Amino acid sequence: MPSTKRYWQDLAQLDQAADVIKGREHEFQAPTPLEEVLGDRSFQGASTDRRDFLKFLGFGLGAATLAACETPVVKSIPYVNKPEEIVPGVANWYASTYYDGNDFASILVKTREARPIHIKGNPRHGLNRDPQLDKGSINSRINSSVLSLYDSMRLQGPKKRDGENWTNAGWSEADDAISGQLATIAGQGGRIVLLTPTVISPSIVAAFTAFKAKYATAEHVQYDPISYHGVTTANMRSFGRRAMPGYDLTQADVVVGVDCDFLSSWGNTTEHTWQYARRRRPSDAGMSKHIQFEARMSLTGANADERTAIKPSEVTNIVISLHDHVAKATGGAAVGGTDASCDAATAHAAENLLKARGRSVVLCGSNNADVQVLVNSINMMLGNYGTTIDLDNASNLFQGDDAAVAQLVKDLEAGRVGALLIAGVNPAYTLPETEAFKAGLAKTGLTVSFSGYADETASLCGWILPDHHYLESWNDFNPKPGHYAVAQPTINPLYSTRAWGESLTRWCGQYINWHDHVKGVWRARLEAQGGNADERWYQAVHDGVLVGFVNAPGAVTFAGDVNAAAAAAKASVQGAGEWELQVYTSEAIGDGSHANNPWLQEMPDPITKLTWDNALLMAPADVERLGLNRYIGQEHPASVCKVAVNGVEVELPVLAAPGQKAGTLAVALGYGRGANGEAVGRAACLRDDDGKPMPVGRNAYPFTVRSGGAVSYDVLSVSVTPTGATYPLALTQTHLTDMERHSVVKETTFATWAKHDSQHTYNPPHLLAVHEDVNGDGLINALDKKPVTQIDLWEEHPVEGVGHRWGLSIDLNSCIGCGACVTACNSENNIPVVGKDEVRRSREMHWLRIDRYFNSDMTKARAAEESVGTIAMYTAMERPAENPRVVFMPVMCQHCNHAPCETVCPVAATTHSNEGLNQMSYNRCIGTRYCANNCPYKVRRFNWFNYVTEKFGQVNPAWDEVGRMVLNPDVTVRARGVIEKCSLCVQSIQAGKFAAKKAGRPVKDGDIETACSAACGAGAIIFGDLNDTNSRVRNLSQDERSYHMLEELGVKPNVNYLAKVRNTEAEEAHHA
Amino acid sequence: MPRPSRISTLFAGPRQFFFALFLLLAAAPLTAQVDQALYDQGQKIFKGNCASCHKVDKKMTGPALQGARARWEGKGDIYAWIRNSTAYLKTGNAYANQIFAEYNKSVMTPMALTDAEIDAVLYFADNYAPPAPAGGTTPVAAPVGGPQTAPAWPWLLIVALLFAIVWMSLRGVKNQLRSAVSEAEGHGPVANETWWVSLKGWAWRNKAWASVISLLILSYLVVQLWNWAFVIGVYGGDQVQHYKPSQPIAFNHTLHAGKDNLNINCQYCHNSAEKSKHAGIPTANVCMNCHQAVNVGRSEAGTAEIQKIYAATGWDAENNRYTGVEKPIMWNKVHNLPDHVYFSHATHVAVGKIECQKCHGPIDEKMDVAEQWAPLTMGWCIQCHGETEVQMAGNGYYDEVHRRLKENPIGQRELRKYLEDEKITVKELGGWECAKCHY
Repeated sequence: MPSTKRYWQDLAQLDQAADVIKGREHEFQAPTPLEEVLGDRSFQGASTDRRDFLKFLGFGLGAATLAACETPVVKSIPYVNKPEEIVPGVANWYASTYYDGNDFASILVKTREARPIHIKGNPRHGLNRDPQLDKGSINSRINSSVLSLYDSMRLQGPKKRDGENWTNAGWSEADDAISGQLATIAGQGGRIVLLTPTVISPSIVAAFTAFKAKYATAEHVQYDPISYHGVTTANMRSFGRRAMPGYDLTQADVVVGVDCDFLSSWGNTTEHTWQYARRRRPSDAGMSKHIQFEARMSLTGANADERTAIKPSEVTNIVISLHDHVAKATGGAAVGGTDASCDAATAHAAENLLKARGRSVVLCGSNNADVQVLVNSINMMLGNYGTTIDLDNASNLFQGDDAAVAQLVKDLEAGRVGALLIAGVNPAYTLPETEAFKAGLAKTGLTVSFSGYADETASLCGWILPDHHYLESWNDFNPKPGHYAVAQPTINPLYSTRAWGESLTRWCGQYINWHDHVKGVWRARLEAQGGNADERWYQAVHDGVLVGFVNAPGAVTFAGDVNAAAAAAKASVQGAGEWELQVYTSEAIGDGSHANNPWLQEMPDPITKLTWDNALLMAPADVERLGLNRYIGQEHPASVCKVAVNGVEVELPVLAAPGQKAGTLAVALGYGRGANGEAVGRAACLRDDDGKPMPVGRNAYPFTVRSGGAVSYDVLSVSVTPTGATYPLALTQTHLTDMERHSVVKETTFATWAKHDSQHTYNPPHLLAVHEDVNGDGLINALDKKPVTQIDLWEEHPVEGVGHRWGLSIDLNSCIGCGACVTACNSENNIPVVGKDEVRRSREMHWLRIDRYFNSDMTKARAAEESVGTIAMYTAMERPAENPRVVFMPVMCQHCNHAPCETVCPVAATTHSNEGLNQMSYNRCIGTRYCANNCPYKVRRFNWFNYVTEKFGQVNPAWDEVGRMVLNPDVTVRARGVIEKCSLCVQSIQAGKFAAKKAGRPVKDGDIETACSAACGAGAIIFGDLNDTNSRVRNLSQDERSYHMLEELGVKPNVNYLAKVRNTEAEEAHHA
Repeated sequence: MPRPSRISTLFAGPRQFFFALFLLLAAAPLTAQVDQALYDQGQKIFKGNCASCHKVDKKMTGPALQGARARWEGKGDIYAWIRNSTAYLKTGNAYANQIFAEYNKSVMTPMALTDAEIDAVLYFADNYAPPAPAGGTTPVAAPVGGPQTAPAWPWLLIVALLFAIVWMSLRGVKNQLRSAVSEAEGHGPVANETWWVSLKGWAWRNKAWASVISLLILSYLVVQLWNWAFVIGVYGGDQVQHYKPSQPIAFNHTLHAGKDNLNINCQYCHNSAEKSKHAGIPTANVCMNCHQAVNVGRSEAGTAEIQKIYAATGWDAENNRYTGVEKPIMWNKVHNLPDHVYFSHATHVAVGKIECQKCHGPIDEKMDVAEQWAPLTMGWCIQCHGETEVQMAGNGYYDEVHRRLKENPIGQRELRKYLEDEKITVKELGGWECAKCHY
């Protein structure tokens, strides 16, 4: 039965109140306040509601799933017309030449599918090649230069100033406008100045000659940002030749360096390196002795046998004192005034020099002509000209004329220059008087820069006509008489750039491309010499070098006035204050033109291990005296000090630098690029928390001063004020000493080495007590010891005689610590750059590091003697000596035959090969990092992030599509969450084995090189097959100096080290 | 050619008969006029001496030969011209110089032919009969693996349907019987359970069975889903094995490399296979080595494909010159190895002496369109490494390895281990180690 009961909600319904009931037809009686809601400002940001969000989520998920469900189609595009020499997948090597005004080297460029990806020294030709080792020596600045080719901030075409803005211009537009203006200026008799670094290119000289023929008022000023004006002037005064002499350190039994960093930044360092290293390997014929006087612990000083810390102002005294000691013995004229404070050290140095007359050299880094005249006199008295020093074949490098540059700045300021053409230098950044230069530039009618970037100088010019990167351009060089080098392009220009020499030729009406010009210059020269000019030209391009007639050594007569020089030199160092400051060029960044290269920024400084910054180096005692932070770490920032002189004030973080002379300071040049927002390159800036660009480090060029006609890098009186602020620094090595762990670093003296009894002196085997009667005394006790190498915990890998066993031998004596191997490894193995913040967290990814150890005054022996407690002893051991000895130790994966990493990997991602390699399979790795924990050498690196992301885009070259072109296609780019480490360049090993198998011959020693061994022109790193009984690495592994790092662990590495030998007379006590 | 259906094969006999009859009738008038011996002789000489620069009916490097005798009629000595054109040009013959100018002054190689031989060539050219269209004879898309067996699934479906009908009718009978019994016992008719309710009832009563069966069904579905994902290439691996993408140019491997066809060596085109890790997709200039002359395919479609090479290389077939307008060919990559695998063709080809077909299958016999024949899984790689003997005969590299093994006690022990199965495989020399392929 249907119910007839009625229910009502309320009285209104019962009453059927029409007005109320009507409203109830709508659920929500009030109209939806749409306007109000939409008008609400707080809602304006959110355009979706929850339901929309869910719809999007669902759709997005579905769409993403659907989109993923498709076989990705990979396109493959072959050449239409394949160039004959290119085989896809096979590298081509081209000989070329590197010259940037500072460094000169013959190089080989590795190209893959026509793009350069790696650079090494030319092993067959060039000044930088050791003919005994067949290795070309280069430094990290040179092998990293391949990366700057792919800097996405390079200018992509000519730019023209339009008021405050820049407009893109065409080349013909630029040519028409500029040559028109030049003609007008020349017609009115206005000066046209071409400002370049030292030009050693015959083709540029020819181009400028033609240019000058067209524009009679043209003149050429050579400006070296790192000046050698004092040296060349001194040679003018001494010998009547304005030149930088050529040095032959292979002839030098004794090298005395006075404030001269000749292995890193002074002179033709790539040539010095191999020459020096050759004589540092101890042999029964002796090894060279190196004595160094300097304020800052330089790379060169760190390699010295004996080093004396001096103040920059004492350089004069040292040289005068040395001069008089030598003069006394050789019958020369004394210049008087030896200083008692340094007499003992100079007497000792002079004694060594005098023992090696004609086989020694004194090198001085001072840019003071008077000091250099005295140095010339010393070398003259020692009879070194004609043996270790060659004036007849003097270097053509470093011809810069400081006086001309200073005059040019004055002329610019006075508006006396009509046109200024600037190529290859950045005076607005590097000059001591940048403000005057900038003001002068504004007064000059026509200013043209050939810079590849809109850098500090170019951004002030009227035109920027970007030059090629050197790997895109033809060039030729004449670094010294009889030696010519050719640079050939290894890639088509990436952008609309043009060789700046071609601009000169075009503006004088020769419409000829740069290649034809260079070849034309050479054809004329070669034809004049007879023979087949074309053939010789192609041979020169192939070799990269053409050797011609060399001047025979002639008589050298010294004509300098030593007394006047000594007086002037003494006068120049008056007024030294409490703090003396020295500015220097660092190994990585050089004069600053490489500041945009992330590989170099992240390469640790050889001595300070500092990355991504320059700092105020101060003696540790001074740091403590001022109450500044001495220990720098992730959570321990550096204290900031203000350095002030002559109105220049720079705030810098202070870094305690062992070996720095107390009362002296040092700052590296080349930092602080792009401080005014100039686009100097991708990695030249870091980002602050707001994403704003921050220059890397501080510019120290304002500290340079003109003194005696030359630029001086020593400031004799500065004030230092702690500001109380702190600043984080990124160091890759925060411990300083080796804590006397002889199983890490073995070191001895030449006298000890010469006894050839390494087993009982400096290189004893590590013995372990075993439970068997080893000594045959019928008892099993603690006296029964066996070398740890004979004991295996695990079954040994069958290595001896089974196929190959790849290994490295590293000579701590030839290693000068330059770090060329580090950057070569970066380039070969696609190692990501992680940036300052990550380095600070010890997350740098370098597969190869160079450990730098200082020695400490405290030793175990001394502690026992003086009854120092254990804790106090170890605390003291952590502190380096005031003037410490230094050891450089390159460390990469040691490829242990009993690798501790292999046994702890839960997924067998790291395994051992039958060729002795410790292999790493990235795709199997799950990132537990047990291996890194268990590695006694700490060489395993973990990918904390995916470094090919925007987060690291500023620093990591692999991020943008241009930078990515530098990657080696034979090496996997590792993903986040996996461990990586040195593979011993297994890609090169595989390639070398294939070449041998295909040719049906055994692998020849030297056929296969790792990136580090190929980069080491000093010959410190030798790679080879330990199972090849004739290989160099096998012989070195059996050398009396050979040892394994941390031998007591019994991990049996395939990398061995040769103990460091210092050439000091003293025999050292060793703990067996 | 479309796959022959069963019905069409019924008529194959008569059709072939009529076709043969047609050919016979069509050929009859020709055979009546052509001296076949002379024609064949001319064709042979033409192929041997002329074909690289001349075509019969088209201009190439030199003029078309058809009608050459007629064109020369009264203008000069065609025999002298053919035998040594350079010498004949010097006689100042106007027509000869005109031709020389017209064909970009390309010099014709002197031909030591007798008048009779030249006659034969010209006879062949004038009576040239183009070969019948290739469509019927070349296996453009011949079925792989002989006659296809009809798939079994329709039969299974029919059987399943029959079972379902039987089961349903039996179920109906059973329900009716139960109903009848119930009524007879006075409980009234049993409500007709739906199959779902009865299934649930059964599942409730037989929980163990129900769970086992549902687990099986679930597993089956998961496996099917997984496999389907393989097919569409979500993971790569086994199921992408026969990946066969369409290509911008329908290049026919069988036609070019097949033993019964052109039989071109694989490495003629893939010439980096023995030098580089990449075998390399041939560059278009390699195609042009032959196709500059071969501009007609065996079918209309083939000719159209050849035109695509011309478009890519900028070859102007009319005027026999390159225009300089190049357009690279974007091929679809067939064999995609992951980035972390370094496979070197060179090592396998030049050192291992492995035949291309070992990994690429019967590409020269049965693949008109290239397809991935091998699974390219790591298991497949190392299986081969575990079985294949190292090609060490006469290779000094392995002699050195052998010498070292023999001279050392550990080496001797290892060598004995290698030789337990009387052969030395790639694996034994380290072919199973990670860093041989991954770095």
